[in-house]
Order: sequence, then C-alpha cells, then structure tokens
Amino acid sequence: MIDEVRSWLLARNDGVTDIGLDEDLIDSRLIDSLGFPEFLLFLEELAGRELDLGQESVVAFRTLRGIRDRVLAGAGR
Amino acid sequence: MTATDSIAETLDHLVADATDHHYSPYTRFDWVDELADEQWWMSPDLLSVAGTALGERLGTERLMALSKWECVNFFSLNIHGIRELLMEVTRRIHTPGFEVPSEFFHRFLGEENGHMWFFAQFCLRYAGKIYPDRTLRIGDDSQDPQVASFLVFARILIFEEIVDHFNIRMGRDETLHPLMVDINRAHHDDEWRHIVMGRKLVEHLYRPLVERGDAELLDRLDTYLRRYMTGSIQSLYNPAAYRDAGLADPYGLRNEVLADPARVARHEAFLKRITRFLLSSKIITRPPFATEQPREST
Ligand SMILES: [Fe+2]
Ligand SMILES: [Fe+2]
Repeated sequence: MIDEVRSWLLARNDGVTDIGLDEDLIDSRLIDSLGFPEFLLFLEELAGRELDLGQESVVAFRTLRGIRDRVLAGAGR
Repeated sequence: MTATDSIAETLDHLVADATDHHYSPYTRFDWVDELADEQWWMSPDLLSVAGTALGERLGTERLMALSKWECVNFFSLNIHGIRELLMEVTRRIHTPGFEVPSEFFHRFLGEENGHMWFFAQFCLRYAGKIYPDRTLRIGDDSQDPQVASFLVFARILIFEEIVDHFNIRMGRDETLHPLMVDINRAHHDDEWRHIVMGRKLVEHLYRPLVERGDAELLDRLDTYLRRYMTGSIQSLYNPAAYRDAGLADPYGLRNEVLADPARVARHEAFLKRITRFLLSSKIITRPPFATEQPREST
C-alpha cells in the first residue's frame, strides 16, 4: 500500500525518481500546504477511514514510514 | 504602506458604508427551530454534481440530501477561511505599513467575526456539526514579510470572490428557505466592501514586488496563486458530504465528478471575476485550470 503512496507522490513531482522511507516529505517539498488536502484525501481513501488532523499527529504524515506505520496501519486491503 | 490618495479615499467610503450598515449578527436572523431535509439547502446548479453524468442519475431526493451537506460544507469552509483571515489581519492591524487600512480593518474584523458566528450557528443548529479544516499551513509562508503580506491578502481575496459567487446566486434564489436566502444576502452585503478593499490592497502590495525585477519570484507567486485557486475549487468536493448524503463510494464519486468535463465551465464561472482581476493586474499569466484541463476548440 505504501508503494501506492510513493507512486502518487512521484507522479506529482517531476524529476524525482525515488523517495526513501525516512525522507521528510515536507522539508523535501514533495508535499506543500497547497498539495496537502488532496494528499490527505488520497490517504483517507487508502486507509478506508476519515483522518482527523487534530488527532493524528502531523508528524506521522511527514515520512512514508510514518504513513505506513501510523496512518495506514490496520487498513485492510 | 505609502498609500496613494486613491486607496485612502476608497477606504474612507468603505468605512462610512460599513458604519451605515452596521448590524448585530446576534439579532439579525430569524433562526427557525428546524429545517426540513426535503428541500434545497443550496441552489441545485451550485452543487458539485451539477451537470455531471452522476448528477443526472441521482433523483431529486438524493440531490436535496446532498444540498444539505454541501451547504454545511460551504459554510464550514467559510468558518475555516475566516479563522485564517482573522489571524492574519489581526497580526497586521496597527503595525508599520498598515497605518492606512487599519481603520477599515476594525470594521472588517468585526464583520468577519459576525460571519463566522452565523455560519457556525447555522451548521451547529441544523446539522449538528462543522466539517473539520483539511488544510495545513506547512512551511510555505514566505519569510519575506512583503511577499507574505501580498500572499495573505491575495488568498483572502480569492476566497472571498469565490464565496461571493455562491452568495449572490443563493441570495436571489427564491426557491430556497428564507433563512438561507437571508444568510447569503447578508454575507454578500458585507463582502462587497471586503472585495473592493482586497483588490486595492492586493494591487498595492504587488507593485513593490514587481519593482524588484525578480522574474523568478513573480513566476513563483503566479504558480502559487493559480494552485490556490484550483485547491479552493477542489475543497468544494468533500467526500464527507457525499457520505453524509448517503452516497456510496464517496472518494470514487469525488474523483468521478471532479473529472467530469461538464465541471470545467462551472469552475470557470466560480472563478470568473477573480481570474479576470488577477489576469488584468498581471499577477497571474493564465487562468488556473489552463494547464490541467486544456480546452479544445469547439
Ligand atoms: Fe465574511
Ligand atoms: Fe469578508
């Protein structure tokens, strides 16, 4: 499932060929504030649940590892 | 801000008009006890599915249910947009550079506080909730104060222009419940002043940035604002509203209607006024959806 997240990001960032599990998605500008809402909806679709920004730690969204282990964990697919 | 006389004069008029039309939001509306589900909560042509193949498939009853939740989404977006604008304008009022508009900012802040109250009142009374804010301000606000201020007021203006398109339509739609008409009309009656000020301010704050002669900067601002406009339109398509309206596969549905060619003309209509303004003041170089959805000649 995390591969789908990686592909989604690669498709939206010309010239980027790979994204490490621990790469900071925000510092590296793979995601910025304008792109975030669409990214969040994409993750919700994958996770199969609504993600609450107040409760989910924003830190969890910063790396693919955080997304895999904390945001998508338990999502059956 | 070294304000030109023209800005000071406009602001004087706006302050006088705001004083003449001052009202208490807390006593302004007749809050009915209940609003029936079976009615249009939003003009049907403003719904996110309007004109689409999917919209055709849904019956009137479903569309009415969707109109309730899209109305709540629209008001929720207003609430969150107002939060940002209150914070940003408060940060600048009575600080160096904002001496001239500060008097108007008092009216603006007071009015926006009222708007946030009546939008929230509506959502909580009749839907029992406000949809959460899905935006995240992460590190793209410029460290350069001139750039940051320009972007703040440009974002506010874009947001207010889109909202006003909806308010004007619904403020005249007599098929809607009188309360819905009244809220949209009351909001429009205040917002035109904010928009007049916003245009003056945005042009004024843009000028010194042009004078820097930094093409890369202007290009970045152009791209940013076009993306902001696109993002604002996308926020009108909320899967949570589809779900609350009882529609299956809300995410798939969102992707489907967003991609429906019938929506292109609607998006252009929502953005028509602000696009024209930003193009004519040379702040953007092309319409926001130009690259994503190139139009074929018909
Ligand atoms: Fe407002
Ligand atoms: Fe406003």
